[in-house]
Amino acid sequence: MAGLSEGQTPVLEIDGTLNSNDGNSRGNKGKDKAVVLVGEENSNSNIDTQNQQGGSGGGSEREMPSMHRSGSRPQLDLSKAAIQGNFEVKDPTILLPNQSDDISHLALDIGGSLIKLVYFSRHEDQSIDDKRKKTIKERLGISNGNRRSYPILGGRLHFVKFETTKISECLDFIHSKQLHRGGVDSCHWNPGVQANDNAVIKATGGGAYKFADLFKERLGVSLDKEDEMDCLVAGANFLLKAIRHEAFTHMEGQKEFVQIDTNDLFPYLLVNIGSGVSMIKVDGDGKFERVSGTNVGGGTYWGLGRLLTKCKSFDELLELSQRGDNGTIDMLVGDIYGGMDYSKIGLSASTIASSFGKTISDKKELADYRPEDISLSLLRMISYNIGQISYLNALRFGLKRIFFGGFFIRGHAYTMDTISFAVQFWSKGEAQAMFLRHEGFLGALGAFMSYEKHGLDDLMVHQLVERFPMGAPYTGGRIHGPPLGDLNEKASEARVCLLLLEMPLPLNLFQISWMEKFVLKGTEITAPVPMAPSGTTGLGGFEVPLSKGSTLRSDASALNVGVLHLVPTLEVFPLLADPKMYEPNTIDLADRSELEYWFTVLSEHLPDLVDKAVASEGGTDDAKRRGDAFARAFSAHLARLMEEPAAYGKLGLANLLELREECLREFQFLDAYRSIKQRENEASLAVLPDLLVELDSMSEVDDFDAFKERMLGSGDNKPRPHKRALLFVDNSGADVVLGMLPLARELLRRGTEVVLVANSLPALNDITAMELPDIVAEAAKHCDILRRAAEAGGLLVDAMINTLDGSKENSPSVPLMVVENGCGSPCIDLRQVSSELAAAAKNADLIILEGMGRALHTNFNARFKCEALKLAMVKNQRLAEKLIKGNIYDCVCRYEPAR
Amino acid sequence: MDVKKPASQENLNGDESESQISHLALDIGGSLIKVVYFLRSNGSGGSVDDSGKKSDPVLEGRLHFAKFETSKINDCLEFIRSKNLHLAGFRHHDASASDKTLIKATGGGAYKFADLIKEKLGVVLDKEDEMDCLVTGANFLLKAVHQEAFTYVDGQKEFVQIDQNDLYPYLLVNIGSGVSMIKVDGDGKFERISGTSVGGGTFWGLGRLLTNCKSFDELLELSHQGNNRVIDMLVGDIYGGSEYSKIGLTSTNIASSFGKAISDNKELKDYKPEDVARSLLRMISNNIGQISYLNALRFGLKRIFFAGFFIRGHAYTMDTISVAVSFWSKGDAKAMFLRHEGFLGALGAFVSYENHGLGGLKTHQSVQQFAVSKTYAGKKICCLVNEDLNDNESIDFGVAFAA
Repeated sequence: MAGLSEGQTPVLEIDGTLNSNDGNSRGNKGKDKAVVLVGEENSNSNIDTQNQQGGSGGGSEREMPSMHRSGSRPQLDLSKAAIQGNFEVKDPTILLPNQSDDISHLALDIGGSLIKLVYFSRHEDQSIDDKRKKTIKERLGISNGNRRSYPILGGRLHFVKFETTKISECLDFIHSKQLHRGGVDSCHWNPGVQANDNAVIKATGGGAYKFADLFKERLGVSLDKEDEMDCLVAGANFLLKAIRHEAFTHMEGQKEFVQIDTNDLFPYLLVNIGSGVSMIKVDGDGKFERVSGTNVGGGTYWGLGRLLTKCKSFDELLELSQRGDNGTIDMLVGDIYGGMDYSKIGLSASTIASSFGKTISDKKELADYRPEDISLSLLRMISYNIGQISYLNALRFGLKRIFFGGFFIRGHAYTMDTISFAVQFWSKGEAQAMFLRHEGFLGALGAFMSYEKHGLDDLMVHQLVERFPMGAPYTGGRIHGPPLGDLNEKASEARVCLLLLEMPLPLNLFQISWMEKFVLKGTEITAPVPMAPSGTTGLGGFEVPLSKGSTLRSDASALNVGVLHLVPTLEVFPLLADPKMYEPNTIDLADRSELEYWFTVLSEHLPDLVDKAVASEGGTDDAKRRGDAFARAFSAHLARLMEEPAAYGKLGLANLLELREECLREFQFLDAYRSIKQRENEASLAVLPDLLVELDSMSEVDDFDAFKERMLGSGDNKPRPHKRALLFVDNSGADVVLGMLPLARELLRRGTEVVLVANSLPALNDITAMELPDIVAEAAKHCDILRRAAEAGGLLVDAMINTLDGSKENSPSVPLMVVENGCGSPCIDLRQVSSELAAAAKNADLIILEGMGRALHTNFNARFKCEALKLAMVKNQRLAEKLIKGNIYDCVCRYEPAR
Repeated sequence: MDVKKPASQENLNGDESESQISHLALDIGGSLIKVVYFLRSNGSGGSVDDSGKKSDPVLEGRLHFAKFETSKINDCLEFIRSKNLHLAGFRHHDASASDKTLIKATGGGAYKFADLIKEKLGVVLDKEDEMDCLVTGANFLLKAVHQEAFTYVDGQKEFVQIDQNDLYPYLLVNIGSGVSMIKVDGDGKFERISGTSVGGGTFWGLGRLLTNCKSFDELLELSHQGNNRVIDMLVGDIYGGSEYSKIGLTSTNIASSFGKAISDNKELKDYKPEDVARSLLRMISNNIGQISYLNALRFGLKRIFFAGFFIRGHAYTMDTISVAVSFWSKGDAKAMFLRHEGFLGALGAFVSYENHGLGGLKTHQSVQQFAVSKTYAGKKICCLVNEDLNDNESIDFGVAFAA
C-alpha cells in the first residue's frame, strides 16, 4: 500500500496514479473524475484510477498493517485535479482546486538561534514524469501493471535547519518548496492562483510569536503556536519509540547506541538545554511534568562567553573550547593540595575544585587569558552543572534514563562528554547520560506531531527507514573539498552540487531558483543542496552551515540526520525467534579494522560499479555525469563514515551496502546491473532444461547431512514434508535459475508450498521480485512442476490463457509464489520486511536464506522459530576466515532446527 | 565543644600548659586565610565551682577571628608575628624536638605554604584534615554557641534555636572557592556527599574578569547595587511578560543567567559592572541553593546549613540562597546560616588541639557569651565588609583544663 496514504481517500501516488483505497467503501471521494496527467508524453502517462495495489501480494494474503489511520488524515483532495497550463511544458502544474486549505506537512520550531523545519513529503523516489524511469518500468514489466509497486511508499520526513538570523532564507526555502501549501508534490504553486490564504502552520519556540507577522506577510500563512514543552515531549517520545538507535551514550569520545525497549521507555527524564534548562519527567504520551531546571544553560555559556571572548557566534565559542586548557582558569584539586589528590573524598588532582577559581589573580587581566581556555572552562562548568542537577532530579524521581537534548549540545562531542562525565561522576557510575540523534528537532517534530491526523504517532520502529541522501556527508558542517565558489568550477569537489544545475533533469523551476540562490552565495554556503529526483521534494538531511570554514566538528562528532522514510507496510519478520535481540549485521563496523577493510573493498569496487551503472543507462553523457556524481557522493559518504563511523547511526556492513544502493538510486541509476542480469538469466534459462533432466536422474538432492536427514529421513522414517518454505533468493542468472528454482522444484514436488522472496528494489545483480515472475514463467515452459505450481500461485495469470493444457491435471499443485522482501539492499534486515513477506511467513516452517548478503553478512547469527537453512559461498577471504575459519569460495550450509 | 573525653593523662606539664595557653589555628584556603586564636582574659584563672570541690581549672578568655586574602599571605604572617601568636602554638614535649612549635592548620594552603610559614615564623604547620575541621567547627558552633544559626528571608534574619539532641543529621554546605556538601551524622561522623565547582572562587574569578573589581568584597558590594534583569534572560523576556505559570515559573524567574548578554550590539564594556556582579551572584547562589536542596532531599536531611567565605554574612547572598532553597523545595526547606560561617575550618583546627595532649579545652557550659567587642585585627588589613552580622567578633570562652 501507499504507505501513509493507504486508507480511505485517494492519494496522489509517486507514479502519478491515483489510488483509491483497498476496496473500502468510504473511499469514494477518489472516484470523482480525478484526472492526473503527468509526464510529457501523454500517450505514456499513467492514468489509472484502478486500485493498483490490491492484487500485488503474489497470491499471498495481503494484510494491512495494523496502524490504519482514519480517513481524517490530511490527504490531498485530487478531485477535479487537472494539469494547469500548457501540456507541452515539462512538469506541468497540477491544479487541485478542491484541495482543502488547511493541509500542511510542515512544522517549525523557531528558536533564538536556529529555526528547525520538519516537513513531510508524501511520495516516492521515482516519479512517472521521469522518462528513464518509465522505460525501466516498461522493461521491468511494471507498466502492464498489476504487479507490485515499489515498497518505499508512504512518505518522507525531512529535517532542515536555518539560522534564525537568516530567517529570510528559511522563508525562501519554504516558499520554493511550497511547503506552506502542502509541498510541491501536492500542488504546485501558481502565481495566478491564490489558493489558500488561510493556511495554518504548526510552530513552536519563542520565535513562533516573534515572527508570526513575518510569516503572514511573506507566506500568507498563520502560525499556530504549540506549547513548547508539549512539543518537546511529543518529539522525544516519537523519536524514542519510532527510531531504532536514536539514543546513544557518549563517553570519552565514544558513541554507543542504546536499544531502548519501547515498552519500558517511561518514565524518563528529558533535559532540554536551551538558553535555560528544563528538566521534564515524562511518564507517557502527553503525560509529563517539568520537575526542575536551571538558569545556567546554553544562554549562560554563550552570554558569558560573548562577554569574555570576542566570539561572534555560539559555534565559534564552542570551537574555541576544543583548543582550550581549563587548567589555566579553573582551580583544580591539585592546585589546592599542591598536586596531590584529595583521595579521601574521591577527588583526583584534576578535578575542578572551583570553576574560574584561578582568575582571581591580581596580576592578570581578562586580556591575559586565552579565549580558548575561558571557553573550555565555561563549557565544563555549565555541562558539569547540568549533568549534576539532572542526575539529582532523576534520582529524586526514580528515573532510570536521562536524555539530554537542546541546542547547547548540538552534537558537540566535548559537551556530551562533559555531561556524561558529570552524570557518571555524581552517580558513581550508576547512571548514564543519553543523547538523541535528532536532538535539535525535538520541538519541530513535536509541533509536527500536533497536527492531529498525520497518522505518524503510532508508527512503529520497523516502519521507518532512515536514508541519507547524497547531501548527508556534507551536513556535518565539514566540507569534503573546497567550498563552492565559481559555478563553472568543474574540478571542484563540491561539483556534485553544481552538477545538479548542469543535469538535464526536469527539475522544478522553483527548486532550481532556490538552489541557484544558495549556490550563488558562494563560499558562504558549504553544504550543497542535495539533488532531488525530479518531481519530489526530497531535500532532506540538509543543514544550513552555521559558520564558515568551521572546524567545530572536525572531531567528527556531528551525527547526520537523514530523511525518515515512512513505510507503514513494513513489518517485523514474524519468524524471528527473538526480535528484540535480533541484530542483522554479522560484521559490526564499529570495529575499526573491519571498517577500514570494507571501506577499501567498496572503494576499489567503485570504478567498476560506476562503469556498470553508466553502461546500464546506455553510456550517455548524462549517465556519465551522474556516474561521476555518484562516485563522488558515495566516496564522500565513505569518507564521512571513516571519520565518524556512527555518523549515520549504528553502522554495520549491511548498512554500508544499502547506502551504496541508495546512493545509486539517488543518482537515478535504478538498476545498474540490469543488462548483466538479463544476459545471465537468459543464459541460465537456456541450460535449465538440461539441468532439470540431470537432476531428475539423480537419486537425491545434492545436500548435506542434517538437512539431508530432515528432508529425506533416515531409514524407514519418512519425513514429513514442510508445509511452506520461504526461499530468499539472491543473484540473477545461474544462482536463481539453476540453483534456487530447482531447489524450489524439489520442495514443490514434496508438496511444500514455495514462496520465493526477492528484493523489492534492485541491488547489485540480485534478482528482484518484479523480474522473478518472468523468469519463473520462462522456466515453467520447461517444467510441468514449476508451471502448475506457478499457476496455483497466481504467477502465470496471463500465461495461463495461453497455456493450452491448463486444465490437463485435476490434482492441483501446491503453489509457487513470489513476494517482495521490502528491501533494496544485498542484505536484509528482518526487522523491516514487506507486509506481504510477513503475511507469507505466517504458515512457513522452513526458511532458506541464500547468498552472502542475506545468509552471511546479515542473519548468519539470526535464530528463527522454524527450521532454517543458510546457504552461501564465501566470496571473501577475510569473511571466510572470520566466520567459518575457512577459505575463500568455501560453501557454507548451516542448518538450524526450529527453535 | 562538648568534649566528653576524660581528662587527659598525657603527661601534661602544668607550667607548660599555663604558658602555652593562647592558641592559634589557621585555615588557609584558596582565596582567604582564616585565623582563629585564643587570648586569655586578664586575671582569670582556675575556678572553684559551687560545690566547693576543686574542678578543672578554667581559663577565661576570648576566641578571636581574623581573615586575610591568601594572595596577601605576608600580611597575615606579619599579623601573627606582631601578636606573637606563633609562639602560642603547641610545643612538643619531647625536649629533643627543642623549639619546634606546631600550629594547627587546615585548608589546601596548609600544604602549599608550609615552607613559607616555616621560614617566616619558624613554626611547623600541623595539618588537620579540612573536612574534619569543617565539621568539628560546625558541630562546635551549633552546640556551643547560642544563636549561631539563623534563617534569612526577605532581608530578615531570624535565629533558630537548634535542639542539640535533634541536630543530626544535617547537611553542611561549605562554600569556599568550590562547594562541599557534607552530611553530618554526629561528632566526627560525616561524609562528603556532593559538591560543585561553581562556588565563591567562580564568583570572584568570573567577577574579576568581567569587572574591574580589585577585591572579592568590592565585587560583593557592587552586586548590591546592580540589576540583573539587564543581563539575565527572564521567563518574562521569553514569554512576552506573561507568566509561564503552567510550569510554575513567574515572569521574573531567571530563565537563563547571562542569557541577554548574547546580544550582538553590546560589548562587555556596555554593561554596568554592578549588573554583571548581581547577575553572577544570583547565578551562583541560586545554583548552590538548588544543588544543596536536591542533596538534602536525597538523604532525607531536614536542615541545610550554609557556610564558607562566599556568604560572609552578605545579605544578598544569603537572600538568593534562601530563595533558591525555598523555590526548589516549594517552601518545604529553609536555608540556614551560621554566624561564624567563614571560620568553621579554622575553628575545627583550633579545637583539634585537644587531641594532641594539651588537655581538654572545654567550653564551660555556662560561659558562652558574645563579646560585643570586635577585633580590629583583620579589619585594617583586609577591609572586611562587615554588615550587621559581624563575623569578626570574638567569643568569650571559658577554657577548662583537666587537672
